[in-house]
Amino acid sequence: MRNEILSSPRIRLLLLSLLIVFAFPSCASMPPAPAEARIVIFHSNDVHGKIDNFAKVAAIIERERKNCENVYYFCAGDNFTGNPVIDQYDPPGEPVLELLNRLRLDLLCLGNHEFDFGLDNLKKFAARTRFPFVCANIQAGGDAFPQLRPSVVLETKSGVRIAVFGLIQIEAGNGLPSTHPDKVKGLLFSEPLAKAWEMKKLRAGNQVLLALTHIGYDADLLLAQQMPELDAIIGGHSHTRVDPAENVNGVLVAQAGSDNRFLGRVELLVKNGRVVAKKGGLIDLGGPLSEDAEIKAMIVRFNQNPAFDKVIAKAPLEITGKDALGSLMTDAMRQVHGLDIAFQNEGGIRLNRLPEKITLKDIYTLDPFGNQVVQFAMTAAEIRGLIRGSFAKGNEIDLQVSGISYVVRSDSAQQIKEILLRNPDGTPLAEDKKFQVGISSYVASAYNFAHADPGRSLQSTTADALIRYLQSGVDLSIYRDVQRAFWEKTAEDPRP
Amino acid sequence: MQIKVNGQAIEIFSGAKVRDVLRKYSRAEWKLVQKNEKKVCDRHGHEVALDGELNGGEEFFIKEW
Repeated sequence: MRNEILSSPRIRLLLLSLLIVFAFPSCASMPPAPAEARIVIFHSNDVHGKIDNFAKVAAIIERERKNCENVYYFCAGDNFTGNPVIDQYDPPGEPVLELLNRLRLDLLCLGNHEFDFGLDNLKKFAARTRFPFVCANIQAGGDAFPQLRPSVVLETKSGVRIAVFGLIQIEAGNGLPSTHPDKVKGLLFSEPLAKAWEMKKLRAGNQVLLALTHIGYDADLLLAQQMPELDAIIGGHSHTRVDPAENVNGVLVAQAGSDNRFLGRVELLVKNGRVVAKKGGLIDLGGPLSEDAEIKAMIVRFNQNPAFDKVIAKAPLEITGKDALGSLMTDAMRQVHGLDIAFQNEGGIRLNRLPEKITLKDIYTLDPFGNQVVQFAMTAAEIRGLIRGSFAKGNEIDLQVSGISYVVRSDSAQQIKEILLRNPDGTPLAEDKKFQVGISSYVASAYNFAHADPGRSLQSTTADALIRYLQSGVDLSIYRDVQRAFWEKTAEDPRP
Repeated sequence: MQIKVNGQAIEIFSGAKVRDVLRKYSRAEWKLVQKNEKKVCDRHGHEVALDGELNGGEEFFIKEW
């Protein structure tokens, strides 16, 4: 009986297969059980051009690399926009690129602000990085973004495989990330949590599964609830300081605030092919920590951005006074964004004069707050309500304007009697039409005015609009003696 | 989009940041946060930065340090 079994060709083939599998494990269809590994992942998110603490980040990571063989550095998006010195570099974002390369970043998940300098700039940036870009819910048709991958697998020296996929937020209204729609033309975006379902397949064959996200902390928690297959989520976008990292549904959820004020540190212990322990927390970079001297020197060099002293426009005369400067700022907002009307509050005009030779430094001194342009579709009645609310704040003209002029008529007690809105040719503004109106995010949030349209940020600052307007070579002689907002105090109404 | 601050629903433009919704909620509270006399936390108790980007439906609380 025994000999009969062994003589069967099928049984002999099976025995031969088993012999091969056990004698040569590397030939087996399943990988060998990996050795133990302690994995340390440092992470940053929402740096927004705040590069000063990178010298401390470099020192911390290098120290860990000397003590642990599996050290990684991830970034969860939004490196650009928020520091004019970096944003105005030529080419844009260059300091961040050089620093992240020098810090040996392992992986970057795209954030919405990675697109702020345009897709072409981002592709040029990506072509020079030494780290991959991940984002699973972006589809780049054809050659739109060849450097982008949905996920990557990193492998430790002991053979532990770490699969990481990326996700970017999209807005509920337009299904695009929070950047100007023109900046993401050619890319298709899908809902991040739905896309994450497809990433469950990465669990098979990998000992560690991570999500590197830019979807905000609330969405990270939903992701943890729907996907317990994950070992950890390293997130960004909401600028949330999560310290220590939270364990949600068995998934570690981490985020390191913003502006390079903290460095995140996640530690994973892998045994027998799975993560058996994990923890995460933040390192406060505000204290007196040691700094990498080479990185420090790079940062000093970047902060002396010569572009800031470069003349970007020449005016025939100095542009002086709130009327002229406000007219210039609102013209810039209106022209650059193709709006009908634009307003600028006088409190946001922080210089009394612009010199004849205008530099970037002058622009950021004139308009230093980083306010965004917000667009509303408004009727003439709603525009009057905005002007009325602004006037009431101090009983004086407060809003400079482009696209129309206006007159506030008040009585001797400074009670507004009427507000006249006029087109540039002096005719009354149409009452039955909606106008596309641009105002700063400060006015949009701090002023009381009724508006049926909830409004949308154009994801561009008022200062950016002014720079682009000045660089277009506009004739600045028109800002001599310009006035578009008037206050007429009327005598007591003679009518009974 | 709608964001809640201290339990009060606030309508704010899309693409707004934490600072925008605080200003709309209360100028007085905003000034205290600006002066670092108070902080802003999300519904889970985690501190958020003032330039944090908002998604509709989020909730924040202004708290003493």
